[in-house]
Amino acid sequence: MYFGETIRTSLSTLWSHKMRSALTMLGIVIGTGALVAVMSLVAGLNRTVAAQFQSVGTDIISVSKYPWVQMGDSEDYRGRKDFTIDDAVAIGRLPSVGLMAPNIHTRRNISYGGETVRFTLVSGTTPEYETIDNFEVEEGRFITDLDVERRRQSVVIGSDVASELFGLRDPIGRDIQVGGKRFSVVGVLKEKGDILGSSLDDLVIIPITSFEKAFGRRRSVVTDCQPAAGVTMERAIEDIRQILRLRRGLSRDEPDDFAINTQDDLTSSYNQLTGVLYLAMIGIVALALLVGGIGVMNVMLVSVAERTREIGVRKAIGARRSHITAQFLVESVFLTCIGGAAGILGGGTLGFLVGKISPLPASVTPAAVAVATLFALVTGLAFGVYPATRAGRLRPIEALRYE
Amino acid sequence: MLIELLDVSKIYTVGTQEVPALRDVSLSVTENEYLAIMGPSGSGKSTLMNIIGCLDTPTGGSYRLKQREVSQLDDDDLAEIRSAEIGFVFQTFNLLPRMTAFQNVELPLIYGRSDRATRAARVWSVLDAVGLRERAHHRPNELSGGQRQRVAIARALINEPSIILADEPTGNLDSTTGEEIMQVFRDLNDAGNTIILVTHEQYIADHARRVIKLLDGGVASDSVA
Repeated sequence: MYFGETIRTSLSTLWSHKMRSALTMLGIVIGTGALVAVMSLVAGLNRTVAAQFQSVGTDIISVSKYPWVQMGDSEDYRGRKDFTIDDAVAIGRLPSVGLMAPNIHTRRNISYGGETVRFTLVSGTTPEYETIDNFEVEEGRFITDLDVERRRQSVVIGSDVASELFGLRDPIGRDIQVGGKRFSVVGVLKEKGDILGSSLDDLVIIPITSFEKAFGRRRSVVTDCQPAAGVTMERAIEDIRQILRLRRGLSRDEPDDFAINTQDDLTSSYNQLTGVLYLAMIGIVALALLVGGIGVMNVMLVSVAERTREIGVRKAIGARRSHITAQFLVESVFLTCIGGAAGILGGGTLGFLVGKISPLPASVTPAAVAVATLFALVTGLAFGVYPATRAGRLRPIEALRYE
Repeated sequence: MLIELLDVSKIYTVGTQEVPALRDVSLSVTENEYLAIMGPSGSGKSTLMNIIGCLDTPTGGSYRLKQREVSQLDDDDLAEIRSAEIGFVFQTFNLLPRMTAFQNVELPLIYGRSDRATRAARVWSVLDAVGLRERAHHRPNELSGGQRQRVAIARALINEPSIILADEPTGNLDSTTGEEIMQVFRDLNDAGNTIILVTHEQYIADHARRVIKLLDGGVASDSVA
């Protein structure tokens, strides 16, 4: 009942100072708008990255000298002892490990006729690699045990390499140069897409034995494997860790000098990254709203001063402190919430348009709207409290005397 | 007894100096009186009106309003009493400019927590009493000075207060309009209302049935016309 009058008074006051209200709201509009827009974009980014991580393979365990996500100085990793084929075989023999593929790689130029693809990933491995690393053959076949056994010069090429070297021609059966050595194309891989901006299709795969013959054997072996059927990832990882510590002669108090990588590691370090991004964003938005809030407080103080006499009259005819305080508080909350609504609308429209027009599947999440609303509300309350309390505390005779 | 002031004093502290505005004023007012408080500037008549109107509290003495001691009450309790017992009429009308006459008159009822239907009926009846039904939906700047003061009187009447306190109610009006307003007060008094008028004009005070003259913060004379 009283509340209705308060709302009517607040709206009519804001309306009677349209320009002032609009300018004051602008800070809040920008803050909440930025919040909603960025949260929409990050939501889109998350969705893309989650899809990319799926393409790596969800149950892959990759054992290597280097972690997929390196923290600190890479010198620390370089001094580590190399892995050998024997290590890979030992991992493959564990009962808790299912499929296993050793893998060595280098980067070489690939050419056919006049065309060259520079610095492409050359991977020497075994047929199990196809399943473990989620490859699919588009055309022809993957490398076989026979290829490995006989050290055949067979090569399976990624879709990027295929399109660059052959265009629309059929690559199967053609001879290409891999780092200056002649290999015959037996298969073309289906496109996998990008992960965090780098292509998964710019590679060629050859038998591990042929790799050693062509490029030497002094490279550390990466072992990709899957847990055996019915074994958990954790269990398989723990078994691998134990056997590697044993083989590398690590004593009880020495840390692991190798990395056991999983897709979870990628996901968690991505989440860490976006977590930091989120914090930074919230910091910036908080700052924007702080500035906006100070503007609101300033205008509210002006409004209280302008209406001192009105406050005196209201008190004389029976308004209590709380009536006056509520009136000004509602006014400041209206300012920020109307600003917030405009910001949500603006930022939301931006996010929606990006989702529609660009490849990034941005979308306005309910969380973004909720957070922006909360921010607007809290700003209105926090910066309205002081002016409103001051208004409520005005002494009626002094307020009435004010000219 | 409606109002009983006993040895009421008010001392303002300006810097380190104490300035007495009222010195031991004792005064009783019964229901349905029509009282004028007179005195030159600085005589303490505004201070006395503020205390009687519960806008301010005395620094010494006792003030009983309808048998209740009100001299030591806090802000919100005083607001409650103003809402229920006092109707103010000011020299400069003090209507809220963005509200219509109707809304201005309704406002004390809103603070007094009555529901919408009761409010509308009350507002129309007091607007009728001051003869302004036709102007109900006009804003103050669309009304003449006399009409504005009538709206202010309607607002003062709306809560059926025990006392109507008018501070120089004709000070901003021409003499003809002033006489009309004084007639309104006369009618209200005839209808049973208690009216306290603060003025420094003798011809305004002549309308009252009892005149109190203040001088230097004390009662100089108290006479019944």
